[in-house]
Amino acid sequence: MRKKTLAVTALGVTAALALAGCAGGSSSGSDQGSSDSADIRVWLNGTDTPDAARDYLKTTFESEHPGSTLTIEEQFWTGLVDKLTTNLSGSDSPDVVEVGNTQAAAFTSAGAFLDLTDKYDELGGDDLLPGFVEAGTYDGSFYAAPYYSGARLVFYKKDLLANAGLTVPTTLDQYISNGVALAQANPGVSGIYFPGQDWYNALPYIWENGGEIATQDGDTWTSSFSSPESIAGLEQVQEVMTQASVAPKDGNETDPQVPFCEGTVANLSAPSWVKGSILAPADSDAPGCPDQEANLGVYALPGKDGGAAHVFAGGSNIAVAAKSAHPDLATDALEIMLSDDYQTILGENGLVPAKVSLASTLGTDDVATAIAEAAANAKLTPASPKWADVEASGALQDFFVSIAQGGDVKSLAKELDAKIDGILNS
Amino acid sequence: MTSSVMLVREHESGGVQELPLSTGPKKKRGPSRAKAGRFTPGVLLLPALVILAVVIGWPLIQLFVMSFQEFGRAQVFGADAPFVGFDNYARVLGDPQFWAVLVRSILFCLANVVTAMVLGTLVALLMNRVNRFFKVLVSVGLLLAWAMPALTATIVWGWMFDTQYGVVNYLLEAVSGQDFTNHSWLIDPFSFFVVATIIVTWGAVPFVAFTIFAGLTQVPDEVLEASQLDGAGAWQRFRLIVFPYLRSIFVVVIILQVIWDLRVFTQIFALQGIGGIKEQTSTLGVYIYQTSLGKGDYGTGGAIAVIMVLLMVAISIFYVRRSLKEEES
Repeated sequence: MRKKTLAVTALGVTAALALAGCAGGSSSGSDQGSSDSADIRVWLNGTDTPDAARDYLKTTFESEHPGSTLTIEEQFWTGLVDKLTTNLSGSDSPDVVEVGNTQAAAFTSAGAFLDLTDKYDELGGDDLLPGFVEAGTYDGSFYAAPYYSGARLVFYKKDLLANAGLTVPTTLDQYISNGVALAQANPGVSGIYFPGQDWYNALPYIWENGGEIATQDGDTWTSSFSSPESIAGLEQVQEVMTQASVAPKDGNETDPQVPFCEGTVANLSAPSWVKGSILAPADSDAPGCPDQEANLGVYALPGKDGGAAHVFAGGSNIAVAAKSAHPDLATDALEIMLSDDYQTILGENGLVPAKVSLASTLGTDDVATAIAEAAANAKLTPASPKWADVEASGALQDFFVSIAQGGDVKSLAKELDAKIDGILNS
Repeated sequence: MTSSVMLVREHESGGVQELPLSTGPKKKRGPSRAKAGRFTPGVLLLPALVILAVVIGWPLIQLFVMSFQEFGRAQVFGADAPFVGFDNYARVLGDPQFWAVLVRSILFCLANVVTAMVLGTLVALLMNRVNRFFKVLVSVGLLLAWAMPALTATIVWGWMFDTQYGVVNYLLEAVSGQDFTNHSWLIDPFSFFVVATIIVTWGAVPFVAFTIFAGLTQVPDEVLEASQLDGAGAWQRFRLIVFPYLRSIFVVVIILQVIWDLRVFTQIFALQGIGGIKEQTSTLGVYIYQTSLGKGDYGTGGAIAVIMVLLMVAISIFYVRRSLKEEES
């Protein structure tokens, strides 16, 4: 009997405490007034954004919006278009999303992002990277702001180059012949590391030979991988893949630091931030080889006639989801990410800042010089809203894997053109 | 020992004999029960039906409607979807790629069902013969393989078959002395499917083995013993005694395997990310995903999905009819 009474009392006390807690919570909530507090979810892709920038974003946002929190959810680049399509259209949409610059058009044209046209000047106006502003604009409205740009550079092992009696190449032809010579001199080593699925790295060969990916005439797009100029470039790609590279013929371009650190790569064409992966401390989650720092050289991919080649201008745009439950807070978070302080952190970590005026934050080391050279000549993929579908279809990866296997370039290019025409004009 | 076993068996056979007796009074009681609550069965079925209608029925209707619409990424975000009649179906059925995928899926399915059934049956027979310790050991091993999520399994198998650093290439080179450096297992479609078959079969064998092992315990030992005395070999005993006893179990397991293997997705999708050429290795599930989410053409993807649903329904009807027959007999 006594036990029962005790239990009932305990229950009563607990209930009273819980109720008091509730009351306290609601009164303090109303004290804060109109500014609603919420948790803002920011989707960033891969490890590209440095930790310093993530911490800055979280602390700044939370101190400017007491009561609100900001959570960064890291996404994979692979399959991003699919994932964004399903999540941005659902009721549980993230608030701020990073999207590859070549993928942005698929979402701006579909109405997946909040219209930021009114905020254009506040975010940086004409100081923003023009090519990326274009990528984030649809029908005259500005939806996705530039986030950062990254140029592709060539990292190389200084000792391998010196041992073979070679120098840093000044033309594309010399780059290729260097790669072949290095592969022959060092069995089991890629003179130029070129896994079959890495189609971004194949684009400079096409562009340098005067070819294009696709051309637009009115509303119609014509894929031009089989033009004579493109074929000349693709034959060079095949030469590099079959004679200079021992990378897996059907491999992809992720984690190139692994073979590089293992010592089986002489030249590696990769985004500028790969330097961080190569020099990552040995005790980190994805260890690199910091002991190779003195041996690590870098240059901008040389063009056919000298100078820097037209490389692919990779990078990201950042946007507020149209279905965000807290668009005002989300826009504030996006403003922090485009602030000078935040973008300076990106610049210091080897990412080209979203604002032209901050280019100097990249510093003056050899990477920064190479980035400046490469970025000046960088090119983009076709500006069609359907281009993201071409990328997502996997046709480009299939095409270059077949080329790496030694397939017939001309007939493969014709097949690819037919496929891309079908997607771009559907 | 022997006597206690005999006792159990006597009890079992007694139970079987009792069965017709117990159905007798049930029939007599039948009408009164119907009077008491004619709607009871329906009411009891209702919750399950409602959940099924919401979780499975509604998406199916959506899918069906979508397959007759022009449905792209803009429609996902709220634009109007115009009806286009049978355009999507015409495009799918006129596309040689679709037929290639369908034939590939069926062949892959058959290869996997046969492999999984043969290996699963062998494991079940093995478990029936070994002592308690090994029975537990094999069961734990099977359970672990079964509990492993398909995605995790595929990634681990993918590492083992990795072109540059895979243990399979390393071991093959060590054992055979041949050069397997940088041998890509996924680039050739046939060898891609060999790897995929290993992964899928590895995941399917536990279910087959457990189910058939459970069935084996129902085969009366006297019959086996008697046939052995009559001079029947192991293969004859399996073919003429064990198999007829377990026929219904085999049929059900095979049908389930066919359904599961025909709609295989995770293993193929994850393997394609590791290597290989998508166009030459896509199966139905992956092809629907590529068409819908990859190319953003949900209408066409929906049409392929409806065709696949019809295919599955055809196989399932066979399964349902079979299990209804079991209940009647």
